[in-house]
Amino acid sequence: MTELSTFLEQVWLARVVILKGLGVTVSISLLAIVAGSILGVFVGLSLVYGNKLLRFVVRAYTDFIRGTPVLVLVLASYYVLSTIGIELGPFQAGVLALAIFCSSHVGEIVRGGLQAIPQGQTEAAKAIGLTFVQTFAYVLWPQALRQFLPAWVNTAAEMVKASTLLSVIGVAELLLRTQEIISRNFMSLQFYFFAGLLYFVINYSIERFGKYVERKTAVPS
Amino acid sequence: MNNFSRAGMIAMAAATFFATPVLADGSKLDEVLARGHLVLGTGSTNAPWHFKSADDKLQGFDVDMGRIVAKALFGDPDKIEYVNQSSDARIPNITTDKVDLTCQFMTVTGERAQQIAFTIPYYREGVGLMLKADGKYADYDALKAAGSSVTISVLQNVYAEAMVHAALPEANVDQYESVDMIYQALESGRSDAAATDQSSLAWYMTQNQGRYKDAGYGWNPQTYACGVKRGDQDWLNFVNTALHEAMTGVEFDFYANSYKTWFGKELTPPQIGFPVEYK
Repeated sequence: MTELSTFLEQVWLARVVILKGLGVTVSISLLAIVAGSILGVFVGLSLVYGNKLLRFVVRAYTDFIRGTPVLVLVLASYYVLSTIGIELGPFQAGVLALAIFCSSHVGEIVRGGLQAIPQGQTEAAKAIGLTFVQTFAYVLWPQALRQFLPAWVNTAAEMVKASTLLSVIGVAELLLRTQEIISRNFMSLQFYFFAGLLYFVINYSIERFGKYVERKTAVPS
Repeated sequence: MNNFSRAGMIAMAAATFFATPVLADGSKLDEVLARGHLVLGTGSTNAPWHFKSADDKLQGFDVDMGRIVAKALFGDPDKIEYVNQSSDARIPNITTDKVDLTCQFMTVTGERAQQIAFTIPYYREGVGLMLKADGKYADYDALKAAGSSVTISVLQNVYAEAMVHAALPEANVDQYESVDMIYQALESGRSDAAATDQSSLAWYMTQNQGRYKDAGYGWNPQTYACGVKRGDQDWLNFVNTALHEAMTGVEFDFYANSYKTWFGKELTPPQIGFPVEYK
């Protein structure tokens, strides 16, 4: 019982630091997911509808990024970019690396969602006189959206977890903040468990949000 | 490790190519003075070297070494912008100019000295043994005499077993995942002594006065020094002078106070008269 009260006392003592770390983790993940998803939709569209050259370039981009460990992307955007005169702070470099990583995954998800729709539907849309834009907006996109939502939620949760890697370049996100607290009070098990709980809360919220959007977009039956 | 050094190498080559006009202007010393503050690279997760106080301020022995240099530069130890970096980032951040100076319990090795320039040492680290104050064994000799009936708790590491056996050839070695667990093992009697860096032990004993004692034996020496970018002798000389005078001259009290705070020991002032360096 005394152990629990010492732990709670330490949590209370570190509350501001924990909240700051949580704030940084949430904002990095949010920025990376939003930017990565927007970019990813363009990547997906290029993969499906682009001409040969565009498809080739974007395919090379997604394969290269997806085949690279996130840690390497993080280090590259922090160190390599500065050698060509682009000076990014740790936070900016981290968001950039995660957004790029996110975009390659979202791109593949979008491509898969669109290509899973039978060719017959595009033909049918053409037959009733819809333009390409109309076909896309009213026939293909709403169906693809339902296809890729679960996978997208998965990717978003991956981004939150990948944000822990940014501690390597000195971004004071939740994990680094937790390590700072542990180095002061030596309560590693308790505080790592607590951090794990907070990560779970973030990811659970994302999952609930995804479920909500899925319900909203579901075909009424 | 290879990835980092390779990244550092590429970065260094590119930086030399692009930054040549800047370097021609003069030393880092002039650049720092003109800027008005020192950019110091250090970590934030290792007591008593570099860690955060409860009110989120960076502190520790490494931090104080940076403060000594800032005081020598500006007469104000607080004129520092900290770059929070992991241990892996120490060398890349120096070679890519993200920091002016790194003080982060960096062990001097020949391999590292090829990539960065080391300053003069400011501490000699070694492994030590911590005992319970009221425990069964009095000191190192008692532990050694007890042979295979003692158990030593130590941080998990490839070399952990060999490291303990270098001092206590017959002891049992229990490896744990984190520092708090090796202390916990000692506290609960699962081990007879905890073996880890003497500085960590000294800090823990200062935090828990009267409950533990040092076994009085140290081994595995390693030198800690700050690092700067290679090829700027002026800047290296300046940092060396600042550190040197903190250990032997006008700033001795600053160094000694810091030493007392983080390692709990009083230092005797350098002898007046013939310089200690030539003894």
